[in-house]
Amino acid sequence: MPVLLVVWLVIWPIASAIIGTLWLKTDSGYAFSIRTYQFFFSDQYSINNLLLTLWTTAVVAVLLLAFCLPVALYLRFARGRLGAYVQALAIFPMFVPSIILSYAFIRVLGPNGALDLLLNAVHLPKIRTPYLTPWGPVIGLLWDNIPLTVLILVSGLGSVSNASVEAARDVGAGRLAVLWYIILPRLGNTLLVALSFTVLGIFSAFTLPYVLGPAAPEMLGPFMQRTFKDLNDPLNAITQAVVAFAFCLFFGLFYVRSVAKNRPGR
Amino acid sequence: MTATLAAKPRPDVTGIAFSVLLTIVIIFPLLVVCTWAFADVWRFPSVIPQQFGMRYWYATLARVDVWNALWMSIRLSVTVTLLSAVICLPAAYAFARLDFPFRNLLFFSFLAGHAFPKFGLLVAIAAIFLQLHLIGTFWGVVLIQLVGTLLFMIWIPVSAFQAVDKRMEEAARDVGARPLRVFWSITLPQAGPTIAAAILLSFVGTFYETEGAWLIGAPRISTTPVLMISFINNQPVIQYGAVLSMILWIPSIVALIFARRVIGSGAFARGFGG
Repeated sequence: MPVLLVVWLVIWPIASAIIGTLWLKTDSGYAFSIRTYQFFFSDQYSINNLLLTLWTTAVVAVLLLAFCLPVALYLRFARGRLGAYVQALAIFPMFVPSIILSYAFIRVLGPNGALDLLLNAVHLPKIRTPYLTPWGPVIGLLWDNIPLTVLILVSGLGSVSNASVEAARDVGAGRLAVLWYIILPRLGNTLLVALSFTVLGIFSAFTLPYVLGPAAPEMLGPFMQRTFKDLNDPLNAITQAVVAFAFCLFFGLFYVRSVAKNRPGR
Repeated sequence: MTATLAAKPRPDVTGIAFSVLLTIVIIFPLLVVCTWAFADVWRFPSVIPQQFGMRYWYATLARVDVWNALWMSIRLSVTVTLLSAVICLPAAYAFARLDFPFRNLLFFSFLAGHAFPKFGLLVAIAAIFLQLHLIGTFWGVVLIQLVGTLLFMIWIPVSAFQAVDKRMEEAARDVGARPLRVFWSITLPQAGPTIAAAILLSFVGTFYETEGAWLIGAPRISTTPVLMISFINNQPVIQYGAVLSMILWIPSIVALIFARRVIGSGAFARGFGG
């Protein structure tokens, strides 16, 4: 029964999306055609949206790792109350729904938001608000993805033994050397898992880009929604979805593989 | 950690820096929302509201659309959670305990839903629902939200059932307990807390699910997050959104309290393949 439901709700839609965009209805019945994809890749607006999504993904992924790796490293070796506090804070965004986050974002960074108030109080000029620019979704998605990335990285760092770190220190390795030669080589897989999650998450992000992002070009999430609902054009919306699937294929496969490897009791 | 690292106590500068940074980045925006919810008057140049009060709480709670959306969200979440529990828990038990052909293949078909960008999947489903005339209906939204909970309700209970000591079940069976009795008295009490957490998480997850509800339900089925989007986009009175945010947050806080158990035990991170 659950398997049937999954087949109906997951596998069939994907299959029918791929088939439905390749076998198009013509006058003489159904025929193989890549017309919708040709349209997608010849339409400058679609391409801009795709590029914006890729750009956002890249920027968020880089910033996320740059921010979360130090936090995770700190948590790995930290003890005591301060460590617990940092951990609690890093995981907290998981319990803030993205819709509340968008609202908070507008109230803080939006025009005349809290940051403007504070800057104004100390007689500094207002910021150029990232609200409704490509940086809006970047900041929102970054915030939203911190907990998962930190959790994955900390759990990955757990596999680096204290003994190996200490051994390296005993022979005089500095902090950076320990990071570069001992910790990072063992973290490759974890980094890829974290990256897969980020990529999959951003390609399917809807709320944050929809509320915080610019109207044009827009990220794939809002683009699909608008094509489907406002333009009433399911065919092209599905084409966009399949394009998104294709871009995420590698990361999706990697995700399944790494979960398969980590499954307890296998 | 052994003595070599702990021997030299020094002020934890990195820790302090991280806590200050995270406090500003994570707590401050939420504090601002909180302040807005209790501000009767807050005009531009002032750093704190000119007048605090509960006026907008009364105003927001007097709105019919707010109550309709809350009621719709609760009905949807309860339906989806119950359905996914009824469907998934027996399946989870089967995956954890029984051996049957294609077991691994079936198990990974559950993962497939999460190996694709979710919104693309939702659009593909919506296209099918369009032909089935499920767009804009209660059950259409229920079905699309079920996609999100299925994995949750399979994955966490499977590890919960696997954590139950098989020998205890066998011991109970040896002294003559029937299978149902074994399940009720041995398996369930041990797996119970984790399963309760899974149910709670899927309830909360459904409560906050925005994309599917927006794609399938709007404008006829308006859940609380969907209402929140329209407040953000079209509502000139800022406080309505702030108050609704605070109300929206309640289930999440409850989840936070309960989920600490699951996160603490590490089962959660394992579920994400870390």
